[in-house]
Amino acid sequence: MTSKPSFKQSFRRSALSGEFIVPAALSIITLIYLISAIQLGPPMSAGNMTASFFPIATAIVMLIALICAMAHALRDKAKAPTEKTVADIESSDESAPSRQYAGLSPGAIGVIILTAGYLLTFDMIGYFVSTFAYVLLLSGLFGGGFRDKWLTKLLAAIVITIAGYLLFEVAFQVRLPTLWSQ
Amino acid sequence: MDSISGLLGGFAALANPETLLYMVGGFLIGTFFGAVPGLTSVLAIALLLPLTYSLDVTTALVACASIFMAGMCSGSITATTINIPGAPSSMMTALEGYPMQQRGEGAKALGHAALGSMIGGSLGALLLMVVAPLAADVALLIRTPGKFSLIAFALIVIIISQHGSITKGMIATLLGVMIASVGIDVVQPLARFTFGTSVLVQGIDMMPLIIGTFAISELLVQADSRSSRTVDPSLIQAAKVRRRDFIPPLSEVREIGVMRYLKSAVIGYAVGILPGAGGSMAAFVSYAESMRSSKHPERYGKGNPEGIAAAECANNSMCGGAFVPMLTFGIPGDPTTAIVLGVLVINGLQPGPQFMTQQLDLIAPMFASLFVSALILIPLTLYLLGPYFLKIVSIRRDVLYSSIAIVALVGSYVATYSTFQMALALVFGVLAYFLRKQKYPTVCLLLGFVLGPSLEEYCRRALSISDGNPLVFLTSMDSLFFIALTVVFFYFMVIRKPKNSGLGAPPG
Repeated sequence: MTSKPSFKQSFRRSALSGEFIVPAALSIITLIYLISAIQLGPPMSAGNMTASFFPIATAIVMLIALICAMAHALRDKAKAPTEKTVADIESSDESAPSRQYAGLSPGAIGVIILTAGYLLTFDMIGYFVSTFAYVLLLSGLFGGGFRDKWLTKLLAAIVITIAGYLLFEVAFQVRLPTLWSQ
Repeated sequence: MDSISGLLGGFAALANPETLLYMVGGFLIGTFFGAVPGLTSVLAIALLLPLTYSLDVTTALVACASIFMAGMCSGSITATTINIPGAPSSMMTALEGYPMQQRGEGAKALGHAALGSMIGGSLGALLLMVVAPLAADVALLIRTPGKFSLIAFALIVIIISQHGSITKGMIATLLGVMIASVGIDVVQPLARFTFGTSVLVQGIDMMPLIIGTFAISELLVQADSRSSRTVDPSLIQAAKVRRRDFIPPLSEVREIGVMRYLKSAVIGYAVGILPGAGGSMAAFVSYAESMRSSKHPERYGKGNPEGIAAAECANNSMCGGAFVPMLTFGIPGDPTTAIVLGVLVINGLQPGPQFMTQQLDLIAPMFASLFVSALILIPLTLYLLGPYFLKIVSIRRDVLYSSIAIVALVGSYVATYSTFQMALALVFGVLAYFLRKQKYPTVCLLLGFVLGPSLEEYCRRALSISDGNPLVFLTSMDSLFFIALTVVFFYFMVIRKPKNSGLGAPPG
């Protein structure tokens, strides 16, 4: 059993939880939005609403709601059982796996990196090569690597790439980028 | 007479082989997505949205309607057989279906679920055909201040119906409103929040938001899982069902009673009209009412077919109700109707009071699709595919999610032939992932995005015609009605919350 944490410790672990970080990050975005809205001009002109009125009102209500959410997060975590360590709190999010990086699981980070890479290469090297590579790597990620059934994954990547081409290019006449059209 | 012949014309349109193919195909896709735990019919319709650029609008709407109907009933398959609801709307079915499965009556439970879905879905579609034209006539009476108050009412009800946290519902809704405000102002030709970039001047399209929120975020959530298949194969071995067992005995159907089916269908339909309620709320309310008024409430929770019938009848009837506010007022109350609204907008159509009379030929096949899907495709699919359902839904996750990723991302590309839309889908996917992890309702985000611009436009127009006098919202009778309605809903849903009935909160 651990000793009761100080106020400073409990505040720190509360601030580290996703329950606090998400509204805090949204507050920064809302502040930027509010500043941009104010820069659009005065909210009222000749008794009528201008283009900035609604965004300013929305941002103010949003900030109040976010402050309430952050206060709730701090209050709830301060009430949480004291036996939990900082690491426990960090990983207490819904369906959290063993380790998290900035609130993202390794799997989710993998999907984001692969998808970002796909977007960068889609126009550059065309649909076929980029999609095949993306599907193959994604299959590895969702299928627990390439040690098992690598041939099935390879075949699946080829089939999905061709099926996607048939669906979009042939059935729905969507012009997809190709390597030779660059 | 014109509207009756128009509605009958909708059924005739289904005789077109291409339209029929999309209806049946949509139903099978909806069944698959509704039955696989983690996937929903909303995701299926979201993936269909990009394809509607190349599809005829009637065909796209027919496919959307059959996916919607299939998604509502197919969640009961895994809910009954392995106690994992394929969709949130089937949680009540799991309470009664799984105990029946455990005593060897799983197929019968699925039969009751299909019968309830069939009756509820058909009645909901019929009520839609009858009520929607009447609602459209009423909608013609609403003027600009009233339209503002109606949208405000819808948004407030969506927020307060979030049982997890009203604050979180409000944050998600306002975030949607903020995202929607990017681009040209709704009244003046002035670009807002573009941060000096030309790509944002046109605003943010609904498609990357939908794809990101429902498809990409699902990929990120599923990436956490370690299992190789969507459903554990060992569970399938223990849950074998035979085709002949699917037909529920007439004695049990009689015991449930015609009134139970009718009452549940009306409850589901009424809940469907309410903004933000959805299939899970419809099933919950109907199940609770069924238990309250049952002759044998002690049988509930132990495998009672009456509970299955009430829940499934209501969640399928909800499909018809959900279309009423979207078609007559242009106000979607749930993500599915919001996406259907997107299909209409992509094709240059704007729902409103006169939409039902002017464009009936376009939407009548959608009504017919809802009705035929419920009456024919639900029992037919159960009978033909029933014994293989669990094998079908136990699919390799690597194949499934790779395919979803490709359809979602390439689908985002379709709108503008630009990777910018794909990048936006990824950004919204990551945002929705964080929101979902902290239990922020992403449905509110989408509905805030859809309704935000109209809310601003009607507010500014109402004040403009009243020389900036905000009292116009109180002196206009239609506006006052919706303000009073908002107060009534707020009182009953927030201040005087219904006491816990022992069932807990409705599933989110």
